[in-house]
Amino acid sequence: MRMLLRAALTEQGFTVFEAEDGVDALEKFESATPDLVITDINMPRMDGFGLIEALRSGDIQAGLPILVLTTEASDEKKARARSAGATGWIVKPFDREKLGAAIRRVLH
Amino acid sequence: MSMMSPIAPSRMRRLTVAQGDSLASSDPEVVFTTVLGSCVAVCLHDGRAGVGGMNHFLLADPPTMANEDARLLNRYGVHSMELLINAMLKRGASRRNLKARIYGGATMRRGLGEIGNTNIQFARRFLDNESITILGEDVAGVAARRVEFRPAVGLSRCNIVSTQPVEQIIKIPTPSGGDVELF
Repeated sequence: MRMLLRAALTEQGFTVFEAEDGVDALEKFESATPDLVITDINMPRMDGFGLIEALRSGDIQAGLPILVLTTEASDEKKARARSAGATGWIVKPFDREKLGAAIRRVLH
Repeated sequence: MSMMSPIAPSRMRRLTVAQGDSLASSDPEVVFTTVLGSCVAVCLHDGRAGVGGMNHFLLADPPTMANEDARLLNRYGVHSMELLINAMLKRGASRRNLKARIYGGATMRRGLGEIGNTNIQFARRFLDNESITILGEDVAGVAARRVEFRPAVGLSRCNIVSTQPVEQIIKIPTPSGGDVELF
């Protein structure tokens, strides 16, 4: 899935950094300063909720847009992500055009 | 593999896994069933959690440049496998405990030979990349198969049902995929 996502975003002119899970993503933040984060919910070690909460707890990433891209569709989990500080919710499988449009919208 | 069940057959609930479906369950009375031609079904099982799942995909990968309708992407292996694993994890399975069996990938018509083979190769490659052990396979050949899988206990059965092309109905999944909601 990450491969497909990378291909779809690179094709639209975005530079992509990949992470295996929430812990890996936080480690990547030590060396990268992305303009936006796209995260799944179901991930090993640290899930998407944990990642969002960790990012929102720091001043530096306070305004960073975070989109959740997941197979989950429950209102409860969506509300939890929103409460944690997510910017948007996208249900997989993703549509390249809709994803690109959503990214451009939250970046501008 | 034979299915020896302590549960009376009449109590078993049979759920059909259609093209594009990825189902998981820990219910001991559930049997997943599907019929495969060149499509492939992967059965996953976590013996510790007592959770199993089955998917059914049509092709390994979506065309790279195609502007494919997001609702139809479940037909492709890469999406289907992810949906299956996520469905398993949601029910308490652990990725490191997953074991797999692969079924299908037959050559049902001349000229379609590569589809079944490509699907089999995709499933093997995906499972290898995910470090999921493949316990068994019943793949390739020229005949359609019926696969039954009891997700709670991980027992499966695969029978040859026909050497004729399988009429497969493409199920359009619910139009939720790709939807974007900004908070």
